[in-house]
Amino acid sequence: MIRRKRTCWVAVILVCVLLVSGCSIWSEPSDSANNKKVALTLWYWNRSIDDKLIAKAKEKFPNIELTAQKIGGDFKAKLKTTLAARSGEPDIVALNDWIMELFPSEDRFYNLYDLGAGEIEDQYLEWKWKQGVTPSGQMIGFPMDTGPTALFYRADLFKEAGLPSEPEEVARQLDSWDAYAAAGEKIKDAFGGKVFLTDNIGSVYNQVLSQGTERYFRPDGSFIGMDSPLVRKSWDTAVAFKQKGLLANADGWTPTWNAAMNNGEIASFVGAVWMKQVLQEAAPDTTGQWRVTRAPGGDGNNGGSFLSILKSSKHPQEAFELIRWLQSPENQLEQYQTLNLFPSAPGVFDQPAMKEEEPFFGGQATGPVFAASAQQVPDAFFGERYPSVHNIITRRLNDIAKQNSDPQQVWTDTVQRVERELQR
Amino acid sequence: MNPDPGAARPDLNQEKSLLSRIWQHRALYIAISPFYLLFAVFGLFPIGFSLYLAFHKWDGIGVMTYNGLNNFKYLLSDVEFWQAVGNTFMIWIYSTIPMLFFALIIAFLLHAPFVKFKTLFRVGYFLPNVTSIVAVAIIFGALFANNYGFLNYLLQSVGLPVVEWLNAPWGIKVAISSMVVWRWTGYNAVIYLAGLQSIPNTLYEAAKIDGASAIQSFFRITIPMLRPVILFTVITSTIGGMQLFTEPQILVGNDGGAGAAGMTIVLYLYRESFINNYFGYGAAVGWGMFLIIALFSIVNWKLVQGKSS
Repeated sequence: MIRRKRTCWVAVILVCVLLVSGCSIWSEPSDSANNKKVALTLWYWNRSIDDKLIAKAKEKFPNIELTAQKIGGDFKAKLKTTLAARSGEPDIVALNDWIMELFPSEDRFYNLYDLGAGEIEDQYLEWKWKQGVTPSGQMIGFPMDTGPTALFYRADLFKEAGLPSEPEEVARQLDSWDAYAAAGEKIKDAFGGKVFLTDNIGSVYNQVLSQGTERYFRPDGSFIGMDSPLVRKSWDTAVAFKQKGLLANADGWTPTWNAAMNNGEIASFVGAVWMKQVLQEAAPDTTGQWRVTRAPGGDGNNGGSFLSILKSSKHPQEAFELIRWLQSPENQLEQYQTLNLFPSAPGVFDQPAMKEEEPFFGGQATGPVFAASAQQVPDAFFGERYPSVHNIITRRLNDIAKQNSDPQQVWTDTVQRVERELQR
Repeated sequence: MNPDPGAARPDLNQEKSLLSRIWQHRALYIAISPFYLLFAVFGLFPIGFSLYLAFHKWDGIGVMTYNGLNNFKYLLSDVEFWQAVGNTFMIWIYSTIPMLFFALIIAFLLHAPFVKFKTLFRVGYFLPNVTSIVAVAIIFGALFANNYGFLNYLLQSVGLPVVEWLNAPWGIKVAISSMVVWRWTGYNAVIYLAGLQSIPNTLYEAAKIDGASAIQSFFRITIPMLRPVILFTVITSTIGGMQLFTEPQILVGNDGGAGAAGMTIVLYLYRESFINNYFGYGAAVGWGMFLIIALFSIVNWKLVQGKSS
């Protein structure tokens, strides 16, 4: 009787322990037990690092036991939850262009300058490098790929509308946003309003803004104000595009956008280099008709990613050596070929692999266009509150485009909304 | 039970007895403890923590700073929050009224003696409820799309003008509501059917003998007898409607679509916390929503109950 009671108790306690511990006893990493190998974990998302390159890294660094984990779903939310929980953090983590949101938590990352990043600084694009450096001068993000922008256009539609269709000539003639808008009016007339110049109001605003030397904040964190010439210019250009009827109102990443591109309802758009892939997948029927040339109004950047080392890592030096190798100019060039990730190391821009002709773009080699753009991207400070302010503005612009709201009224509301946002 | 009953004074004995009774049945308490432990970890703690969080400013990673009542003050004067409350109510009205109406009709038909293959229909009506919401939202997105949507294709083919469903404030609400109706009508119908089956047949027979028509017996017998079931469905769909999140998020995105017309309270909470990183404020939104649901449920309850007296 007593024995049975005791077994029962043991079972109950065991169950409780397992429930509370979440079965962690089995997954405890046997870090030190290994034969002196340094264990490193790397978090990245699909298509941000080539899987073959990671396999190669394992051979290249026999002293490192690399666990590379592809994190699916909402990467940023998962990273932030992990940082908040202060447990289960990886050693190395890939960050997207929202890196500035993490600047207030710079103490959770290693300063890559302390690990020797300064030695290779001149190999990378200056403006890109600076995006990974916090206002206090700590470098928390190592450059991965970039997103230089250019004008994507349909050569056949441009020709039919009586516009130039050769890349050099398009760039020469449509050198400003005004000239671009004028071309849009021509297209509208030529196709009886069935073909639009570009996709949506947000992308116009974004692209004008990305060509400037500032955003909403100064490096000391103070707000420049909604009346900054660049913000006004971006806003006014976007609104003018709407008022002239040049927008198809097709939002990115929607079936509508894909269909509009494939059906030839959109004649052009200014987009980052990674839009090549997006466009090819969305509009297979338009193969051979697209061309790429330097964007009206200047060059800009949209997107791009970074690699960071978290403070919780026990082996920052090894982690840095790994990062340095993964993102070396040669390996960036290789990832341009395998995954279309545009290098942030300008030293490889002259390599033949960057000049290959692409059938989707009618045999044009688009690499040199983006390479030229990448070298001219103006350096701009973003600030950690850039995303929230930018989001408010683009959201309100959508009201103008889709609900025909009065632009003046929306502007006044937006200014108030941004001021309120900055107060909290 | 007590081995020596005369040893202790009666009142002390009683005081002791609660603890000692628990100790005596310790094996049982431990056996039911997993639920309470899990509830404490995943239910009670988050509730308490969100209340604590609502008085703080926190970006999710850095230091938490005490913020007093500022989050709540900001909430009361937040145009976007009140717009979200308004949107949620509109979507709730657009969805709950047709949903419960159709559910009642379906249940009534399923209960009718002349319907064959009842089980098949019951399963069929319940099926939408177990379909993944994400898949549903994607399909409805394709139905309501502005340019290449199926509904607009139908409208065009009969010569009607195209409706920009996902650009118009009411269009977005109709699209979201239709998803809710599609998903929950069958569920409520099954509940109503259970209610109908519990009404004794003798009542109808008596009414028939007294010369009541079918409509009379529906309104005089069926509806009054179903009142508790109707109350239950109204309360559950109120809570569900106030917590609407996945449908608008998949259909129109984190910003609630054009003019934020599809921004619901929970979507707003999600955006403020997980997109904009105002976790303290997000918690305050959660408590604001709690108060609204509580008030609204009481009002609903009074309304539905009140009719009887």
